[in-house]
Amino acid sequence: MIRLLIALSLSLALLVLASLAFGDVSLTWMELYHSLGSTDQQSSMIVHDLRLPRVLLALLVGVALATAGTVTLAIMRNPLAEPGVLGINSGAAVTVMAVIVLVRDPPVALLQAAGFCGAAAMALAVFTLAGRGGTSSLRIILIGIGLSSLATAGTTFLSAFGEIGNVQRAMIWLAGSVYDASMVKVRLLALWLIVPLTLAFSSARELDLIRFGDSTAKSLGQPADRIRGLMIVLVTVLSGAAVAVSGLIGFVGLVAPHIARRLVGASHARILPVAALVGACLVVAADLLGRIILPPIQLPAGIVTGLVGAPFFAYLLWGRRHGR
Amino acid sequence: MKVRRAGGVTATERGRALALIVLLCLLMLAAISAVALGTTTMPFSTIISAIFQYDGSRNHLLVTTIRLPRVIAALLAGSALAVSGAIMQAVTNNPLASPGLLGINAGAAFAVVMAMTFFGTGTSDVYLLYAFLGAGTAALVVFTLGSLGAIGHSPLGLVLAGAIVATFLTSLTTAVLIFDESTLDAVRLWTAGSVTGRTMVQARTVAPALLVGLVAAFLVGRHLTTLSLGADASRTLGQNPIVWRGASVVVVILLAGSAVALAGPIGFVGLVVPHVVRMLVGIDYRWVLPFCALGGALLVVVSDMAGRLVFGSQSFPVGVTVALVGAPFFLYLAHTRLKGAA
Repeated sequence: MIRLLIALSLSLALLVLASLAFGDVSLTWMELYHSLGSTDQQSSMIVHDLRLPRVLLALLVGVALATAGTVTLAIMRNPLAEPGVLGINSGAAVTVMAVIVLVRDPPVALLQAAGFCGAAAMALAVFTLAGRGGTSSLRIILIGIGLSSLATAGTTFLSAFGEIGNVQRAMIWLAGSVYDASMVKVRLLALWLIVPLTLAFSSARELDLIRFGDSTAKSLGQPADRIRGLMIVLVTVLSGAAVAVSGLIGFVGLVAPHIARRLVGASHARILPVAALVGACLVVAADLLGRIILPPIQLPAGIVTGLVGAPFFAYLLWGRRHGR
Repeated sequence: MKVRRAGGVTATERGRALALIVLLCLLMLAAISAVALGTTTMPFSTIISAIFQYDGSRNHLLVTTIRLPRVIAALLAGSALAVSGAIMQAVTNNPLASPGLLGINAGAAFAVVMAMTFFGTGTSDVYLLYAFLGAGTAALVVFTLGSLGAIGHSPLGLVLAGAIVATFLTSLTTAVLIFDESTLDAVRLWTAGSVTGRTMVQARTVAPALLVGLVAAFLVGRHLTTLSLGADASRTLGQNPIVWRGASVVVVILLAGSAVALAGPIGFVGLVVPHVVRMLVGIDYRWVLPFCALGGALLVVVSDMAGRLVFGSQSFPVGVTVALVGAPFFLYLAHTRLKGAA
């Protein structure tokens, strides 16, 4: 476990350094070392103002998505459950699509606010509709499917009849990327994430319990409905923020917990940190690859997570034999 | 949940049979009104004579070349999607499963987009072929991947393989569409799911595969009930879950592959109709499948008609109206029916 954490942290550090060094203007390791110290050359401007915020943002988004995914997987007890089940993605998609198609030249801040509001409103709607008479996971899943499909119908309608340039712009935003990063944004996101992340990490035991099913959890003295409600709020806050700053980076929330479970077993005290690191590695790596595969084109990170993350996950599942 | 008594025709069974007949009548009514209503409203006699005594007049032409093919496409696609969705949910033992989980929609969309990018925009006949091939290939890859290794013995393998392949293909498709505006423009109506401008030839092309799929689905229906209890229960009851899972996947490819080829990737029907049916008639798949077939067809036919009449546009995508018509009903059911369910 300790060895695994160290290995993951090391690879994350390596990925971060590589993201700082590589790009349209590649730096050697020596140049990178010097520019991190000083602030006056062109290379240090690139590193400090352009690449560092971007890497940190990717890292934070990865941590948030993976943690939210782990929590969702546990409370829903469904291998396909990711924050999108709560309607978060479809809610953000429809509001952002509406803003881009209907508002002329919307500012980025408006898109982000719209993304977060859409996600939060949708999660709230799913939760209130499902909430009466106990929040069983099947009820939440079904209500989530129903509300999501309404929102998706809205998105599809807008994308089928909106002005084509706007639709394409919306698709790029929805594909999920961290290219619009700044240090202010990084600090805001970090502050925003502190509380929900701490809460999520400290409720590892509750997640272990609720995974066994409501009746088991209740008979062991856990107020399962209340815990699930609290966890849903956590997931909304975490992934809503991630969606707001980076669009829909899919797959991380689904895959990181599965990978973590393969690596360290079923206890959430182990899964949560490993999943968070895996998620951070995935998004940072995806952003790096998206920048350097086809320069000067920047592939959105959300697309690369699918292109690279999916085969990697398949390799983990089927490529080699696991004792666990 | 009602307990089924062994042997004999129970009261519930008679009720279900009656409900099935009522549903069939509703479907016929909806199909006939979908042919009759529109910018030109036609009496029933005109429709009949257009089919049996075709005289080449404007109304007859309208019925045989535009409205009838469209309604038939909606009928076929709706029933196939709903039935294959029910099968997927039984096989994977997961309420979130749909034909899309097998990579059907992602594969079809990928193939169509690739074909457009490399060979230029073609007719919808061409899309039909590529969509079916793409859907079939993706589903086969998912199934093979999902049956490999230690994880392949549980439905989890299939579920994860489906998520992986679908994500990969969708990412590729999005990557192409983000940079290629003309392809995006050409393909976006298709991706919304639409039965506009379908021809009789197209319906006839996919109909054999689809009907074979439907018959096969009803044949495996009994085994699906057992399969839906989970791999352990199914093995305990003497079923070989892997064989029946394989058979079911082939059926889903036939059904959903043809449906997506005909009407584009409509996600809602395959996901939601099976849930509605199970909430109303219980979990016996011998009943669930026929109800799904009729219910799915009814939903798509009515939605397409509503799209044409309410929005006044011939090309309003049925993929959108299906959700607008079906989701409120589904939410109402889920809200009221599932009160105490775990």
